[in-house]
Order: sequence, then structure tokens, then C-alpha cells
Amino acid sequence: MDTGELKRQWVGKTFDTVSFEIEAETMLQFALACGEELPRYTDPEDPDFQAVPNYTSCFHGTRTLPEGFPMNMEESFDGGKCVEWKAPIRAGDTITAQSHLHDVYEKTGRSGGMVFIVHRMQFTNQNQKLVAVVDWKMIRKTG
Amino acid sequence: MTILQYQDLEFGDELPEVTPDVSMPTIRRFGEASGMTYWRFTDHEKARAAGLPGAIVPGIMSQGILVALIHRWAPSATVHKIDTIFRAPLDVDSQPVCRGVVTDMNDETKTIEIDLTICNETGETRVLGTAVVELP
Amino acid sequence: MILDLHSHSTVSDDGRAKVENYCQWIKRKEIPIDGFVLTEHRLYDDASDYRSLEDQFGLLILKASEVETEYGHVLVFGVTQELQAAFNFSQINLSLATVLEESERCGGIAVPCHPGRPRVGMCAHIGTRGEVEGVRTIETLNGGSRGNENEQAASLAARKGYARIGGSDSHIVSHIGRCATRLHAEVRDMNELVASLKEGGCEAVKLEDRAWIPES
Repeated sequence: MDTGELKRQWVGKTFDTVSFEIEAETMLQFALACGEELPRYTDPEDPDFQAVPNYTSCFHGTRTLPEGFPMNMEESFDGGKCVEWKAPIRAGDTITAQSHLHDVYEKTGRSGGMVFIVHRMQFTNQNQKLVAVVDWKMIRKTG
Repeated sequence: MTILQYQDLEFGDELPEVTPDVSMPTIRRFGEASGMTYWRFTDHEKARAAGLPGAIVPGIMSQGILVALIHRWAPSATVHKIDTIFRAPLDVDSQPVCRGVVTDMNDETKTIEIDLTICNETGETRVLGTAVVELP
Repeated sequence: MILDLHSHSTVSDDGRAKVENYCQWIKRKEIPIDGFVLTEHRLYDDASDYRSLEDQFGLLILKASEVETEYGHVLVFGVTQELQAAFNFSQINLSLATVLEESERCGGIAVPCHPGRPRVGMCAHIGTRGEVEGVRTIETLNGGSRGNENEQAASLAARKGYARIGGSDSHIVSHIGRCATRLHAEVRDMNELVASLKEGGCEAVKLEDRAWIPES
């Protein structure tokens, strides 16, 4: 597998755009399950009520890879997530996420040979303000 | 100890340890909120049949647990970035320990970096991460 | 002299530690260590120059590499331009024999690391691929090991008579110095470190209660 060629062909091209309506109850349950205690994340009546900073890490687009990408990621596992928080997400917001591949590389580890595909989602709110950038490392075993 | 301001901090400060709730009811609650309702998170038997030691904690929940660790220590903190590497599965219904330490400080921006880990009962690091946090 | 011979900075794809923060951490936590070696994954970091940090913190900071072979991962000490031309450090299926031979030819030394680790440690491959000629030294204490991985490495070293080193395999600041290597000679640069490793003048040690203790 030539990951250098995959990188040249596929990295940087937006392949998916999807919108999400943000609901208070879902934000609240996410925060409580993670052990949050601060009212700005756990009390919908708090004037500063907002989603926890990594809330966007649970959002998925309509597809994880561009159409025609020559690798099946059905057997992949989650290698890590990096969330850059830019601005609060509030109940009632409409968040739009655009996806592109940010990187492709290979390495070996306890699981054997692996290809890492870094899927980047950029989230903007209804005012076109960037609210978060999430890098998701998908790992596919190759041997 | 709770931290309120940047000036209260020193390089190398340790965040109070937390033993998070990763019991099955909490995992299911998280699953409902996040869409992570797959059997490998919510069903011990099916997970074992697939070769896992049992159901595992969703990676993004581990990440949320680490964010909560920071907020409990510094309620006024703004978490600008959290970067987590899921090194190995964390078992549902286990007793992991979350830790954090301050490993970088920027006096101009009043931002710090924190090393974050979640270890299992035998002390093995299962989730590793760093966070960039701003304090007033 | 104590050096952590296995660490990663932000130069590695999965490294999250800045080298200056490693130095600050060592001083702040009073880790009794004289320096560390940055063994970045699948590359040699030609660009970075840590001399000012060495002066500021009174630490020895050396550069090496961690490459990937059919027998698992291997630390390469004494990387020269000639050695970088001898094989492609970025490949994940290098021949261990080539890495060992070329490292020796170019004046360096290759040291299989975390040999007890599944798939990326030497022990897992000896049964199917056979014994390896040319190994002098292996890493028997690795700070990232799980279960009995370090014990397996120590057994291999005992069986084959290999010299032993230790390293933290740190990827975040607070993990530096968890394990290290006691060198019998004082070393001031990479050439002297390589010479010391080739002579077998080293032992693996781990940090417990601010004191270095040998492998159990």
C-alpha cells in the first residue's frame, strides 16, 4: 500500500457536509455521564449553559471516507481524538460540519501493521462562526 | 484543592486524582446521549465473544471524563484543546484512575498544558492525552 | 551516569512533549538523571538543536531514532548521513539484519527495544523467523510495557547474554525518566554513548521513590 500516494490524492478535499440541531437534554446527559459538575454544563437554566468542550467529538457525518477511497474502514478502530474548542455550542444552535481527510500514514504497533487515517471535521454554527475542529484517528489493521 | 487563577499555579502541580464512574448504567447513559450504543460498549457478553475482555468505555467518554477532571480542579478554566490517544481498551465496570499534571505554562497567554492519563487497576496507562487550558 | 535512552518529542507523530518541558520536568521533580536521548519514530531529526537547552538545564540531550523492522522496533544510536542513506528510516518493514549491519558499518549501534511486546518486539518473531545474529544489546526495561513484557525481555537477555538498557519510551512530559540506563562510563556525546553501549558498559534501571533500582 502506498500511503504517500493516498495522501497526495485524497488529503485536503472536502467530501461531506452535514448539519446538526443541538438539544439541551442531549448536551446535559453527555456532560453528566462524563462526571461534569459545573452548572454551565449541567444546568439548562444556567445563563451560560453550553456543551462540554469535547461535545463535537461524538458527531459523525454521512460518511467517514470520500467516495471512491480505495480502503474499507469497516474493521477500523478509534485511535484517538483531538478537539480544538473555539466557541461555545448552545442549545438550539444549528451546527454544520465539513469533513476532509487531514493525513494518511502507516506504522506498526501492538496491533501489528496499521494505517492511520486522520479525518478532520470543522464545525461552524448558524452565524458561520467556527466552534470546533475535531481530528479523528481511524486505524485499520494491515497485518 | 481548587484552582481559581493562573497565578495560583506552578509547573508540575498535580490535579486531584479522580476515579470516574464507568459502570454499565453510566456507559448506557453516555451512549444514549452520544449515539455510541454499539454492543462493544454496552454488552459484556457480546464483547467477550468478540475477543475483548468485556465491554469497553467509548474513547470519547474517556475524553469527556478527562475534561471533567480539569473542570473539577479549575472551575473557571477554558479547555481550548484536548488531544487523547486511546492506547488500549478501558473496561466497563472497572475502577480506573484519572490523573493530570501541569507540564507547561505560558505567562503571557495564561495558558497551561496538562498531561492526562487514565490507568487501569494494575497501573497500566490506557488513555493518554494532553490539554491546553486557559485560566483567568 | 544515568541517561533515559528512549523518549519522543512532538517531532514524533504520537509524541506530545516539548523538549524544553522535559528539561523543566526533570529539574522540578528532581529526577536524578543526567540527560535523555530523543528516539523519534521512523526518522532522524536533523533540524532540531538542543544545545542551548543543554546549557540552560545542565542536561545531556542526544538524538537517535526508533525504526521498524520485521522483528519489531529498534533504537538506532549514532545516526549519520551515511546511515540515513543506507536504508529508508520511514519504512515500517525494514530488515533487522540490514539495520544491525548498516548501523555497525556506519559507526552506530542498533538496539531492539521493548522485545517482549506483542508484534513489535523481537521475542514474538524469534519462533517463526529464527534467532537474530548481530544483536549485542536490547532494551529490557521500557516505561510503556504492560504485563510481563519487561520480564520476557530480561529472559531473552539472560538466555542470549545481551547487554541491557532501559528507557521511559515517554510520549508525554511527565513520563520522562520512568526507566533509564546506568552507564559505567561518563559520556559527553553520541560517539561516547555508542562506544559505551558497544562495550556493554550499561544496565537497565527504574525509578522508585526517587532512587534508581536495578531490574528485579
